[in-house]
Amino acid sequence: MQYQDRKKIFSARDVVVKFNLRGKVLTAVRKASLDLYEGETLAIVGESGSGKSVFTKSFIGMLDKNGYMESGSLALDGQEYPGTQSEKEWLNIRGKKIAMVFQDPMTSLNPVKTVGQQIREVITWHFKTDKETAKQEAIELLRLVGIPEPEQRYKQYPHQFSGGMRQRVVIATAIACKPRILICDEPTTALDVTVQAQILQLIKELKDEFGMSVIYITHDLGVVAHVADRVAVMYAGQIIEHGLANEIFKDARHPYTKALLLSLPQLGEKGRDLHAIKGSPPNLYKEIKGDAFAPRNPEAMKIDFLYEPPMFQVSDTHFAKTWLLHAQARPYTDALDREGIKDTEPLRSSRPAEGKEPPLLSVKNLTVNYKLGRRTFCAVNDVSFDIHAGETFSLVGESGSGKTTVGKAIMKICHTNAGEIWFQGKQVNKKLARNELAAYRQAVQMIFQDPMASLNDRAKVEYIISEGLYNFKLFKKDAERRQKVSRAMESVGLMPEYLTRFPHEFSGGQRQRIGIARSLVVEPSLVVADEPISALDVSIRAQVINLLNRLKAEKQLTYLFIAHDLSVVRYISDRIAVMYKGRLVELAEAEALFRRPLHPYTRALMDAAPVPDPEIERDKKVAVYNPAAHDYTREGPAWLEAEPGHYVRANRAELADWLKITHGRGAGV
Amino acid sequence: MKRYYLSKLGQAIITITLVVLVVFALLRFMPTAGYFSKEQWKDMSEPEKTAYLRSLGVLDPLLVQLRRFVTGLFSGDLGRSIVMYPNMPIASVLGDKMAHSLLLNLLSWFFSALIGMPLGLAMASRKGGLTDKLGTLYVVIIRAVPSIIIHFFIQIYCSRWLGLPLLFYLEQPISWILPILSMSIGSIAGYGVWLRRYIVDEENKDYIKFARVKGLSQRYIMWRHVLRNAIVPIAINLPADFLLMLSGSLVIESMYSIPGTGGMLIKSIKAMDNPMVQVLVLLYGALSVFGVFLGDVVVSFVDPRIKLVDSNG
Amino acid sequence: MDNYSLQSPPFEPGKDAVLPQELFTRAEFSEQAGEDTGFTNYSYWRSTLNTFFKSHLVKVIVVLVALLVLFTLLFPVLTDKDPYQVALSARKWNLPPSAAHPFGTDGVGRDIWARVWHGTRTSLILAVAVAVVEVGIGVIIGAVWGFYRKLDTLMFAIYNTLTNVPSTIYLVLIAYIMKPSVFTIMIALVATGWISEARWFRSRILALREADYNIASICLMTPIRRIISRNVVPHLMSLVIMSAALTIPASIGSEVFLSYIGVGLPPDLCTLGNLVNQGRSAFLVYPYQMIIPTLILCFITISFYVIGNKFADASDPRNHI
Repeated sequence: MQYQDRKKIFSARDVVVKFNLRGKVLTAVRKASLDLYEGETLAIVGESGSGKSVFTKSFIGMLDKNGYMESGSLALDGQEYPGTQSEKEWLNIRGKKIAMVFQDPMTSLNPVKTVGQQIREVITWHFKTDKETAKQEAIELLRLVGIPEPEQRYKQYPHQFSGGMRQRVVIATAIACKPRILICDEPTTALDVTVQAQILQLIKELKDEFGMSVIYITHDLGVVAHVADRVAVMYAGQIIEHGLANEIFKDARHPYTKALLLSLPQLGEKGRDLHAIKGSPPNLYKEIKGDAFAPRNPEAMKIDFLYEPPMFQVSDTHFAKTWLLHAQARPYTDALDREGIKDTEPLRSSRPAEGKEPPLLSVKNLTVNYKLGRRTFCAVNDVSFDIHAGETFSLVGESGSGKTTVGKAIMKICHTNAGEIWFQGKQVNKKLARNELAAYRQAVQMIFQDPMASLNDRAKVEYIISEGLYNFKLFKKDAERRQKVSRAMESVGLMPEYLTRFPHEFSGGQRQRIGIARSLVVEPSLVVADEPISALDVSIRAQVINLLNRLKAEKQLTYLFIAHDLSVVRYISDRIAVMYKGRLVELAEAEALFRRPLHPYTRALMDAAPVPDPEIERDKKVAVYNPAAHDYTREGPAWLEAEPGHYVRANRAELADWLKITHGRGAGV
Repeated sequence: MKRYYLSKLGQAIITITLVVLVVFALLRFMPTAGYFSKEQWKDMSEPEKTAYLRSLGVLDPLLVQLRRFVTGLFSGDLGRSIVMYPNMPIASVLGDKMAHSLLLNLLSWFFSALIGMPLGLAMASRKGGLTDKLGTLYVVIIRAVPSIIIHFFIQIYCSRWLGLPLLFYLEQPISWILPILSMSIGSIAGYGVWLRRYIVDEENKDYIKFARVKGLSQRYIMWRHVLRNAIVPIAINLPADFLLMLSGSLVIESMYSIPGTGGMLIKSIKAMDNPMVQVLVLLYGALSVFGVFLGDVVVSFVDPRIKLVDSNG
Repeated sequence: MDNYSLQSPPFEPGKDAVLPQELFTRAEFSEQAGEDTGFTNYSYWRSTLNTFFKSHLVKVIVVLVALLVLFTLLFPVLTDKDPYQVALSARKWNLPPSAAHPFGTDGVGRDIWARVWHGTRTSLILAVAVAVVEVGIGVIIGAVWGFYRKLDTLMFAIYNTLTNVPSTIYLVLIAYIMKPSVFTIMIALVATGWISEARWFRSRILALREADYNIASICLMTPIRRIISRNVVPHLMSLVIMSAALTIPASIGSEVFLSYIGVGLPPDLCTLGNLVNQGRSAFLVYPYQMIIPTLILCFITISFYVIGNKFADASDPRNHI
């Protein structure tokens, strides 16, 4: 079916949303417009602060109390409705016609009411159905969203459900009144990759079954490729480009969209820098003139700094808001095309010497138990691996896999119950003498996940970066310290003038770079990076990865990279280990692992991570890992070497099977 | 569920034991004059006094005294009053007084919840409105001005303006009004401000936003979701509040000459009647601990998450 | 003013308006401009104070309290009026306010003006001392409690014992068994108040302790001493100020309560509590004897209560611009 022939069911025109923040008026959405067609999934992509969430919330009057829609019009089924109506008037739209699902399923349900009551109340409220019928309908909905034994589950409370199951309940509640439009605000961001795949699948199925249109808000281009028919890209409160998924992924026109797609770590070529976007996304406080992306775009034209570009049409369905599409820009774009996409800088290789030297860090049979009330919970169970000097070793697993605990044990910030950790020929997971401990602490540093939490807000950047220098007495004169601090600032791309500021004044990516400077200024040899990019905006992830790679080569570092997403670590890792529920299940060279993943869990994890390519994602079916499928009755699992350097936890019979299945899996993703 | 109650009960027993020990130890430091009636104190010579104290057992080793006291407790013997009701068994003195105190407190507890909760609800539903501002002013005054001064003014001015009796008479229900007003004026503010805060907290939670997205009306959400949750932390404290009021009524009972246990405590302190003080303090302590325990029981009915502890443990 | 509309050049897309061709050439690129996210210059304490003093009520109260404190502290230096001077002649008893006795005299001819300021002084010193000691003990024990999980059993037993029973009971008991003096009152107040402060600071410290930046400091081997002074204390300062301010009205209230019961304070000592209670017995005939000390007392308690709460609001970064 031609897209234009579809019926338009919703449109928003020139929406402006402002916020009052202590006497200041901030503009979050600046004249954004969108159309939604029947039966489609429209993905809105953008980073934090782009206004994507605020924009969609204004469709159903769910702005925070200090926010208001200043102008613009909304229309559902051709019928206009005001964006500033009373709470009572909104009730005709909310739930019944437009429903919404939030990011965090753990907080979306009332903890003291049964899930059944919470679904049933929507039905009785909107349709005045009697309780018994509504109950039957609710149970039917629970069945529909894939909750086993819905009659029993109906009577249970939210805390008795897992995160994924709760999100299913939330979705069941949202679709209870068969709304025309379902808005999903990052509904899988708080969930594990494998659970995410299932929820995405569910939303797809429900959309078709109910004939709904879906607006899907996300920052993850992989997810977009998986769910979207059409994509709208938001930046600094505006929709800067929109079109069919293929058009956006294969033929993006706005420099921001282009740069974003190019910067994805999944597309990174080993041995070269990523195509990183420079700078940081603007926040609400910044006054914006012209094209908001221009200050971060090295190819921006002069006009971009002066005038805001209008929306140009590329095809029937594809529009972009950039001056590059103006007729007069032809000479300039032609010149750019001739230049082509410049190759990024090659990385200086720092491949480890092959197994000759003893490993830098050696973890042997590490076990960590936690006490939860009366029960003991085994977070890390008999984990062993070596890390060689100069390599990037990645530890990948979902929440609860114990990957972070391994990192903490290495950092000596958590206890170990059994096993040994050796560093440079010395055992370190025991009581160390003060000078030994100091030497170890200096040699092994950590980079944290959340840059908002990892810097002390009450200290100036100068103190934060100097902290290690003081502790390890790495300078003779104060001038030397200041010089080192300035150099560290510059090495992470920040001006030394910023040293007198407080962390509040920096964006997430900048804070993460300050954190990196703090760790690296003491010149460690091993860096434990605990999901260093997962809390960052998509447009700055590549920057930080490039930075980490460059510093690694410059300072001859070794990385232990902890992550939950296999596709991201492929680019940076030399070797990858996969963890599941406290155990290592597979370990191999990065390329070998992707060429031939053996363990079914690794395969599930690999499949589950959505790839930013709509053609691959469209018909992808995700296999679910079932831990009960192993047959360990005859022979228990062991740590077996399947190929040279490729280890897997299995018994011999199943390993032979896996080798057979994966034979010739070859070049696939 | 059973395990939850048992663990809370165990906690209560431990606490009461500790309270008994602490109070008992503290009371050993009480002025020894408190063991004599006025005439005795005047007439007796030093050796006589020592002999008398020894006969009372006050000079025995602590542990011996403790054992005697505890065994007395279990057999219902609370000791004998010395100054206030010379040589009367304390248990018999307290019976009636207890009843008066309980009745008055029950009334004012009921009264303050009845006024305080709607006040909190009214304040929360129009935040920043006139009710909210007046309510806040009321709360600030109640919290900032020492309660005893407020009680003075209520007694003095209200009795004058409203023509109500200055003192309490059991047979005259009209004379109950002022004591009840005094007792509840503070806890009305308490219920108001806490309920307001809990409602505001709940309203900012995601599940309320989700309930709004579901298209439920504000009224429905307030009654079926917000209040239902905001009441949980209040419910925990309800029983303890009732018993805490008993201690707040110390002054009020004494001001209005109410023949209750609270006034008794103050009188016996002023009269330095040691055994009486001891029993009353322990009585209040035990009641409060019991109130905390009741709160734990109540909350298990309101909050389904409590059951989780059991099913997992 | 909508700034976005001004930025649109005066033409419609698709129509052939001609713009200067020069505009369609590469602009200069500055990396630092891209780094400018639009964050404003910010310092925690400056913003806290700005937010705090934004309210006129706060300005007035702070000035008045400062004046009052100054005046009462200097009072004994400025005048030689003796608050304990009893008049032998009955003509000088219960005098209404006059030039010689601005607040009148009490039942035995003592000058209420002098008594009130001396009483305010004593009560304020007592309340501040209690606040400092109580919050100090609370912070220290709370910190230790927060850092050593093993103390939980012991501390919770103490906590339950002290808080399950109404604090007035303990207060009365301690005041009863000790010799009446200002020091006794202080002990009694601190003994009943410290545990709640400790519990509160424990929960704060637990949250602070788990903060990533402290773990980062541990990984950098920052000595505990400096972690406390640079990472923890700056975050606690505002909480300390706030709870100290809020302790003051509570202490003064307890003092009135104890003096009513007649334990803890020597009855002839000049304190606001004693003055209010003495005034109360003469209230029906000479109301000013109670009203004046009561007004001053209420001014103090309300002021500190308001200051504490406003400061709590102001110190919350969410309320900063």
